[in-house]
Amino acid sequence: MRQLNSGDRVGLSWRSELAAGIWQHLESIDIVEVIADDYFDAPLRRVRALSTLATQVPLIVHGIGLGLASASAVSEPHLNRIARFVNRVQPESWSEHLAFVRAGSIELGHLAAPPRSAATIAGTLANLGRVRAVVGSAPALENVASLLDPPGSELDEASWVSAIVSGSKAPLLLDLHNLYSNAQNFGFSAAEYLARLPVEQISIVHVAGGTWLDAPNGANQARRLRLDDHLHAVPGAVFSLLEELAFRAPQRLTVILERDGAYPPFSELLAELNHAREAVARGRARRSESERARRAG
Amino acid sequence: MRAEPNPARLEAFLARLYVDSDARSAFLGDRVGSANAAGLSDAERESVVGLDAAALELAACSFSHKRVAMQRLVAQRARQRSWFQRFWTRLLAR
Repeated sequence: MRQLNSGDRVGLSWRSELAAGIWQHLESIDIVEVIADDYFDAPLRRVRALSTLATQVPLIVHGIGLGLASASAVSEPHLNRIARFVNRVQPESWSEHLAFVRAGSIELGHLAAPPRSAATIAGTLANLGRVRAVVGSAPALENVASLLDPPGSELDEASWVSAIVSGSKAPLLLDLHNLYSNAQNFGFSAAEYLARLPVEQISIVHVAGGTWLDAPNGANQARRLRLDDHLHAVPGAVFSLLEELAFRAPQRLTVILERDGAYPPFSELLAELNHAREAVARGRARRSESERARRAG
Repeated sequence: MRAEPNPARLEAFLARLYVDSDARSAFLGDRVGSANAAGLSDAERESVVGLDAAALELAACSFSHKRVAMQRLVAQRARQRSWFQRFWTRLLAR
C-alpha cells in the first residue's frame, strides 16, 4: 500500500544507514526528510546525491541547530548555512524546532525546551522574521520533547506553541511522540492539547519511538519519564494520536517516521509506515463519516 | 539591588545546569545561592529552585549523550573532508 486517497503522504527521515533500504523501496515511500545540519560540512558529492534522490522522491529539509525559540537572536553563521543548503536543495518545505540550543557561550548540542513565556514568544517571532528574510521562507515549527518542565514558564505548552504558530503564520510540524512524551512526563492530556492547537496550520507530522527512564523520586518511590530517543518502534498511543489528527485536520498531512539508531530490518520500518497509513486512513474515514452525518442532520 | 528579569540570562543559567556537572552539583547543594549568584530576578529564582532534581540529572545525561554523538559525527566528517582534500591535492598536483 502506498497512496492514500486523501492525498496524505507517509515517508521516512533519511539516514545514511537507511540509504540502501530507502533506494530499494522508493515505491513504498512517498517523501523523504533530510537533516540540513548533516550536510553543512559534507563533501559536494553527498549534496549532489540529494539532487539525484530528489528526482525520485519529494524532499523536505529539517534543521536541528538553529535555536529559534529563544529570547536571544539566532546564530547568523548557522542561519546562513541553513539558507545556503535550503536554496541549493530547493526542498518542498523546511522545518526547525521550537527549542534553544545555545545560550551565551554554551552550546547544548541538542534541543532544550525554553521557558514558555511572553519573552520567548517575542524572541521566537523576532527570530522567525530574521529567518524569513535570510532563507526566503519560514520553517514549519516543531514542538519538542522535554524531561524537564522549563522553569520560568508562564504558559502551558499548547498555549505557547499556538501563540507562536498563530503569531508567525508559519506552518506547524507536530511531533506526536514529543507530544505523547510531554503529556506523560507532565501529566496533561495529549488529546486535549491536540484540540487546542491551530490544527489547520499543521503541515508535517513526525512519528517516532522512545523509552521509559526510571527517575528516583525520594521516599523509595520511582517514577518514569518518557525519553524521545528515536531508537524504538513507534508506540500504539502515537498512532492513535495520528488517527485523531487525521480526523481533525481538513488539509493534506505529510507524516515522517524518524529513526536515529538501533536500526531494525528495513521491513520493520516499512511496516511502521503502513501502520501510519492505516492510522491516517482511519482518521480520514471517521472525518468523512462525521461530515456525512453533519450534512444529513 | 533587585535584579530585573532577563530571559536570556535565565536561558544561560539553565544551559549551564544542563551541560556543567559542577554547576549542577553546586545548584543542587544550594539552589537559592546559585540562583542569586547568577543574578536571577526574584521570579526567576522562584522558578528554578523548584527544579526536579531527578529530571535535571536525566536531562543532563541525555544532553551529554547527544553531544558525544555529535562530536563523533563532526570527527567523522573531518576525516571524510581530509580524505577529499588529499584526493584533490594529489589530482591537482598531477
